[in-house]
Amino acid sequence: MALWGIPRLEERNERLQDQGPSRSLAEALCVGNSLLLPWDRFSAWLHCICVVGFDLELGQAVEVLYPPHSKLTDKEKTNICYLSFPDSNAGCLGDTQFCFRFRQSSGRKVSLHCLMDQFDKDLPVYLKKDPAYYYGYVYFRQVRDKTLKRGYFQKSLVMISKLPYIKFFQTVLKKIAPEYFEKSDPCLEAACSDIDRWPAPCPGTMLNLPIMGVVIKVRIPTCHDKPGTTTQLIETTPQTDAHISISLPTIHEVDLFRCFSPVFLHIQMLWELVLLGEPLVVMAPTPSESSETVLALVSCISPLKYCSDFRPYFTIHDTEFKEYTTRTQAPPPVILGVTNPFFAKTLQHWPHIIRIGDIKLAGEVPKQVKVKKLKNLKTLDSKPGVYSSYKPFLNRDEEIIKQLHKGVQQKRPSEAQNAILRRHFLELTQSFIIPLERYVASLMPLQKSISPWKSPPQLKSFSQDEFMKTLEKTGPQLTSRLKGDWIGLYRQFLKSSNFDGWFRTRWKEMTQKLEALHLEALCDEDLLVWIQKHTEVEAVDLVLKLKNKLMWAIAEHLPVKPDTVARLQMHIDSIISALPEDLQGILLKTDTA
Amino acid sequence: MSVLPPVRRDRIVGELPQCFKKEASLHSRTSFHPKVVSACQEQRTGTVGRFKISKIIVVGDLSVGKTCLINRFCKNTFDKNYKATIGVDFEMERFEVLGVPFSLQLWDTAGQERFKCIASTYYRGAQAIIITFDLSNVVSLEHTRQWLQDALKENDPSSVLLFLVGAKKDLSSPSQYVLIEKDALKVAKEMKAEYWAISSLTGENVKEFFFRVASLTFESSVLAELEKRSARNIGEVVRINSNDSNLYMTTKKRKSKCCK
Repeated sequence: MALWGIPRLEERNERLQDQGPSRSLAEALCVGNSLLLPWDRFSAWLHCICVVGFDLELGQAVEVLYPPHSKLTDKEKTNICYLSFPDSNAGCLGDTQFCFRFRQSSGRKVSLHCLMDQFDKDLPVYLKKDPAYYYGYVYFRQVRDKTLKRGYFQKSLVMISKLPYIKFFQTVLKKIAPEYFEKSDPCLEAACSDIDRWPAPCPGTMLNLPIMGVVIKVRIPTCHDKPGTTTQLIETTPQTDAHISISLPTIHEVDLFRCFSPVFLHIQMLWELVLLGEPLVVMAPTPSESSETVLALVSCISPLKYCSDFRPYFTIHDTEFKEYTTRTQAPPPVILGVTNPFFAKTLQHWPHIIRIGDIKLAGEVPKQVKVKKLKNLKTLDSKPGVYSSYKPFLNRDEEIIKQLHKGVQQKRPSEAQNAILRRHFLELTQSFIIPLERYVASLMPLQKSISPWKSPPQLKSFSQDEFMKTLEKTGPQLTSRLKGDWIGLYRQFLKSSNFDGWFRTRWKEMTQKLEALHLEALCDEDLLVWIQKHTEVEAVDLVLKLKNKLMWAIAEHLPVKPDTVARLQMHIDSIISALPEDLQGILLKTDTA
Repeated sequence: MSVLPPVRRDRIVGELPQCFKKEASLHSRTSFHPKVVSACQEQRTGTVGRFKISKIIVVGDLSVGKTCLINRFCKNTFDKNYKATIGVDFEMERFEVLGVPFSLQLWDTAGQERFKCIASTYYRGAQAIIITFDLSNVVSLEHTRQWLQDALKENDPSSVLLFLVGAKKDLSSPSQYVLIEKDALKVAKEMKAEYWAISSLTGENVKEFFFRVASLTFESSVLAELEKRSARNIGEVVRINSNDSNLYMTTKKRKSKCCK
């Protein structure tokens, strides 16, 4: 371990600066630069790996932490400890995998992750990192062991990461954890050393990731992929030798059909509840079922990003337990996955509750149709189903239900069922969002209103009435066969945090586009002619303004034409060289400041 | 779609590279098996034609030069400072053999004792094992038998290709070398391994060796694939006369037989 000392971050930062501001750590990671310190590559994927065990006196405790220098606050450690173990007595005998999400303690020092946000800009919005949260991926083993005082071996191997790549980390854990439980520390050390050799998590490239003797092949989607095509992008090699390589068709997608099969008839309603950001709780027998179902819910509105908080697995010990369960306020607009029976009582005032029994592998579809009344949920073992008084805005799509039913009868493979359901949700979400996209695009000022000598024009503001008017002719009826109160659905959606998040992203993109167009217009001007007609003070002012714009364009990755930045720099240089020499000196100096 | 960059020009194999010592070689044919040549020409190499990968593991005592050997070939570098491998190092090297893309996964395992317990995890599924020793250290040659035995526990001895490699040739004087080579050839014959002597410092024989490894693993995987295919054809003939469940049983039986 001595070889892997604490990274000397400061020293490295100095070296990065020496190489000029254009060299970022992300680039260094991509090209395998000598600037990389041990653990840099590891940190691009994971914050740390912990082993959580059960101590007879202390309860759950973090037994091992890799890399040894990784920082977790006490609060974070406590959360990880509770979230890494099942919190109910349901039979989690054997090996279980699940995932949780927890809030990062505030006031933490800027970590390496922030230096790598460059990867984030090419990611689809629903895969972007959330700076405030970590994911925990758990492999829990509980087996009888008479040699132990408690009679049971209970341990979790947990990977903590900012990346929401659930399928991928589950696969990695499945390779590492069973080996670790048998062979202990050297195994974890070797696995970490494998990970520290991985290429950076660059979206859009095929990544070969060696771990424990196999190579996992995976591709992280980009925001430029056509939605719904991600799974077809990876070439599925017919090679079946899992000792050599594993090709993952998806890095993050859970099996929607399997997760929704217990509440299959209500998928339309669930989609609306998630879209509108309604408070939703999933009560499941085990953490793996609760976490998969919550993640399935969150992803059913993809490519829209679910913007509120969601907890695939939430326990009564969670730091946010009080905040989320208080009865003095209305339930928060979050999705919680729980297993502890205690929640049936604590959360019985919540408006929408999904209760699932064991998820059957074969994807059996239950027969009951009716949504249950909430008052029925007083007892601990209420039957599986959806408990809510919510009336969906849209009618149920009988065709998709028929199609999937048929699939169950014909024993269609689960992957095919999943693909059908995913496509259904995708089409539904797109039908819903296209009118909004179209309207928001119309808020952009006309190209001709952009003048290089004025500041960029303002975007028109969003008007609900104007938008509603567009629905009459160019509403979702153009692309969806579903009937119902679409207007009502939009009205409700515009109040939700999902709309807020979506609109902010669009607004930012459009503002940047405006800035970019403005910058290009400036570049097309003959600025030397302009300064001849103006005073020296105005020329200096122009230089300073241009420099600011240039810096901003680089820092924000403005969507400008490829040569714009270089042309702008040339403009600046030529204006400066046309000025008196003493001024030139001063203006050139401000370059480095 | 992720399109791989073209294979480096100096990783293209058109003819079978020759062995190092005739008396300790995997086979003495001077060219690729005619079946393999014609399969490649006809492009009916099956999975071999599409991104076929073989897994190679490198084993041997602590500091005999396993990592240096790989680094000389994959990166053309040589680092005089010793840095112990933690767990395992990994390199992927892409070739083109007889016009067909072919990749080698090179798993460079740690020689340290404390990593021995996890080694089996990394050994699984190897198509070739490179057992390395230090030409200036007789003890490391003696240990190769044990390394082989451990590595074979996880693999099928009848199908895996073995290479016995003496490293650090530059460190032994000609007279010393003659002595150890005699022993090494004996060990190689006993193991049915192909013997090579290399120097990662000077680069002597390194490229030749890896080209030989790539070519022989490629040849044996194409042959295995062709054999599987003809077996499958027989299976299809059987199906005409028997029902599906019977077929399942017979193929399963056949599989377990050949794995033993």
